[in-house]
Amino acid sequence: MGKANLAGSNRQPWQARLLSLAPYISIGLVLLVLPSFLSTYPLSILTKVLIYAIFAMSLDLIVGYTGLLSLGHAAFFGVAGYAFGILMVRYGIESFWLVVPLGILAAGIVAAIIGYISLRVSGVYFLLVTLAFGQLLSVAAVKWTSVTGGTNGLVGIIKPHLGLPGFTWTNFSFYYLVFLAFVICFFLLHRITNSSFGRALVGIRENEPRMQSLGYNTWAHKYVAFIIGGLFAGVAGVLFASFYGIMVPGHLGITTSSSVMLMVIIGGAGTLFGPAIGAAFILVLERFASDLVPERWPLILGVVFVICVLFLRGGFGSYLSRFWRRVRLSVWKS
Amino acid sequence: MDVLPAHFLIGLSLGFILFLLATGLTLTMGLMRIVNLAHGALYMVGGYAGLSVARLTEDLVGRDLAFLLGVLAGGLCAGLLGLIMETGFLRRLYKRELDQVLLTIGFIYILTNLTQWVWGPVPEYGYIPSILSGSIPVGGITFPVFRLAIIGFGLAAAAGLWLFQEKTRVGAIIRAGMDNKEMTMGLGINLKLVFTGVFTLGAFVAGFCGLIGAPLLGVNLGVGWDALLLAMIVVIVGGTGSVQGALVGGIVIGLVVAFGKAYFPQLAYFTMYLVLIIILLFRPSGLMGRTI
Repeated sequence: MGKANLAGSNRQPWQARLLSLAPYISIGLVLLVLPSFLSTYPLSILTKVLIYAIFAMSLDLIVGYTGLLSLGHAAFFGVAGYAFGILMVRYGIESFWLVVPLGILAAGIVAAIIGYISLRVSGVYFLLVTLAFGQLLSVAAVKWTSVTGGTNGLVGIIKPHLGLPGFTWTNFSFYYLVFLAFVICFFLLHRITNSSFGRALVGIRENEPRMQSLGYNTWAHKYVAFIIGGLFAGVAGVLFASFYGIMVPGHLGITTSSSVMLMVIIGGAGTLFGPAIGAAFILVLERFASDLVPERWPLILGVVFVICVLFLRGGFGSYLSRFWRRVRLSVWKS
Repeated sequence: MDVLPAHFLIGLSLGFILFLLATGLTLTMGLMRIVNLAHGALYMVGGYAGLSVARLTEDLVGRDLAFLLGVLAGGLCAGLLGLIMETGFLRRLYKRELDQVLLTIGFIYILTNLTQWVWGPVPEYGYIPSILSGSIPVGGITFPVFRLAIIGFGLAAAAGLWLFQEKTRVGAIIRAGMDNKEMTMGLGINLKLVFTGVFTLGAFVAGFCGLIGAPLLGVNLGVGWDALLLAMIVVIVGGTGSVQGALVGGIVIGLVVAFGKAYFPQLAYFTMYLVLIIILLFRPSGLMGRTI
């Protein structure tokens, strides 16, 4: 990659730039025009894929870049969705400009609290503690029936009012909202991971004592990364709640956390675009499997876990970026 | 009437089940640095298998012996699954924590779904041998004999496991392996075999508890996650890598849950989290833990 970049920057910088942006632009264009060819049902799956892609990318910042094994990431997704829904259903606040930021803020606050306690331990202990907190919130959602609706879930969430005269949500316009959120989140996360802060996170993942001896406050870096990841998960949670109109306690707990973790791993941790592909893969697979053998879906999912761990080291992302590197090199040679 | 001793005994019996559950988890974490998230699922399979065997053999050998056979069958079943998991899969993932986590989560899904396939979705309750059924008066209240038996059995198991860890050659190898893997292998010890043994033993103990703990935790498809969560909290509170840690953690959490249920029934579930948070804030390595 270094060679290609060097060659590019020496000769035609704008062409090199264009080439490196080509996959993003083409995928963006496909996602932009695809809805015109889709009926309601596939469009809803595509919307769900983009929401989960944001969710998976937010976890990638924590797991892939910072190297923190968080198995409680659904807590932030769920808290944002619940906060959004509670404001709407219990307090009647329906303005987009209020409920969306407040929902995301709630996720950030919860991430700040859970992160503060969990970051006292590291490695697999961190994993156990985050898992435990996710379950805690999930049980709280079950027991606090008057506010959360208990096991039946919080129902009656609607899509928030934008405050534009004459505007009503359709499946199409909501898809484009999700698409816009996806593009913004991807851009921001891309900038964060390529900033000096992001480089420091990778340094912490690779060798924390070394970063400490270089003078980095690694605890603060990890803490901030954890909160940022929580905020982006909150974006996904808010979108999810308004798209489906319901939040259930399971959205906070281990089942959601582990499936988003699988999306990250299967897509390639630490690649950012990989987890988005992982989300698409898992959700489409789930769609087919639950049409064909609804009873056995968990079994299939479990086997996917095992196969991807044993045979797919590095995830789709690593294969794709290697492939793309080769394409770019051959383009430059010709 | 003073109910304090009753809550104490209830907490203690739960604590010993939690101790047994957490032992396997803590030893594999301490020795192999593997966190086996499927530990609770093994417990669940042990419970179902034990219940089936007990019911099948009841007419032939009587309720008491059937219970013993069931407990043993549950342990063997889970132990076998543990052996397959370690030798077939986890062994290849040494030092790859994230992959171990995913693999064991995959096994939870697989085991839970297979259990549902074989035994159906209806939750089951405990199987209590006739010799241990009924209640006896303890300090002015009547208390189920089965729970007292759990306490007795738990004490015996704790003593046995402690002796195994501290006084036997294998126990010494396990402790050495936790402290310094390379040195232990350098002394000519086949640590791979020890890993397999410890993992299988942990799985066996989890499955063994399946039927014994059934009247306390139930036998259902959700118990895999519940048991895992409890065992995890016990491990964090008690500290990793030792039988003593699991024992202390188990009893603390058992008592906290029992007293929480008695005095704050609405918030019972959250009391153990309070303990967890306090421990993490003030003693992150656990009550009896080595430094991590």
